[in-house]
Amino acid sequence: MLENADSGPMEKKKLNPDRVFHALGDPTRRAILERLSEGPMSVSRLAEPLEMTLAAVVQHLQVLEECGLVQTEKLGRVRTCRIESAGFSFAAQWIADRRTLWERRLDRLGELLAEPEEDSPSGYEWLG
Amino acid sequence: MHTLEKQTTVHSTFVIERRYPAAPERVFAAFADPAKKRRWFFEGDHHDVETYELDFRVGGKEQARFRFKEGTPVAGMVCTNDTIYQDIVPNRRVVFAGTMTLEGKCISAGLATIELLPSKLGTDLICTHQGAFFEGADGPEMREAGWRKLLEKLDNEFAK
Repeated sequence: MLENADSGPMEKKKLNPDRVFHALGDPTRRAILERLSEGPMSVSRLAEPLEMTLAAVVQHLQVLEECGLVQTEKLGRVRTCRIESAGFSFAAQWIADRRTLWERRLDRLGELLAEPEEDSPSGYEWLG
Repeated sequence: MHTLEKQTTVHSTFVIERRYPAAPERVFAAFADPAKKRRWFFEGDHHDVETYELDFRVGGKEQARFRFKEGTPVAGMVCTNDTIYQDIVPNRRVVFAGTMTLEGKCISAGLATIELLPSKLGTDLICTHQGAFFEGADGPEMREAGWRKLLEKLDNEFAK
């Protein structure tokens, strides 16, 4: 239900967990995402610290772009890449949906405890 | 052991640890106060709580009844939780045992132990759940029947 929730100008893509988690399962692709999370950059600059050909980097970017994790855009002669949130939202939602009832309960307890205290804890002194 | 029938119960134990930036007294109050307990423990996006009662003392009962909302694979179905408190140590420990039914059929029984340990930050909570899951809770039969999708959702609703 969250797929394509934030796909922006990118054409609507059907995201599926196989492809998204396969894309995230590769250390080089994760390194690319880590660098892009600092800010958009050109493909050539992105490739600089990676010990591989530009063609190999482009291939990784294609995989990431197909999963909505990265968006690339050609401006003049330079192709720029940036993080795309659709794939991350999809992965986060998939993981959240797999959390058990008890984990979600304890998440909600944390939310309740984070609220400002409206009164002193009471109601159980009578337990004696 | 040779039996004629397939075993119908799946046993499962899990432990979840959480760190809350709140004093044990406040965490304990979230268990003892019916309004608070109902909110974080029973309310959810996928069902409406129809009735809720809490008698928070050793031997006391907690009863909740809820109905799944439209849009869920179990829409309209009624689920109940019946719990009896086994042990309560204010601000330290809450132990309760209970059963869960779906459409009147018991699908699981479990013992939950909540331990509250004061920490520098607030409270470390350790939740240990020991459960027995019956037909309709774990769902080998349902899976065989091709209800995989439904099960994925049920797994979320009923702690495994």
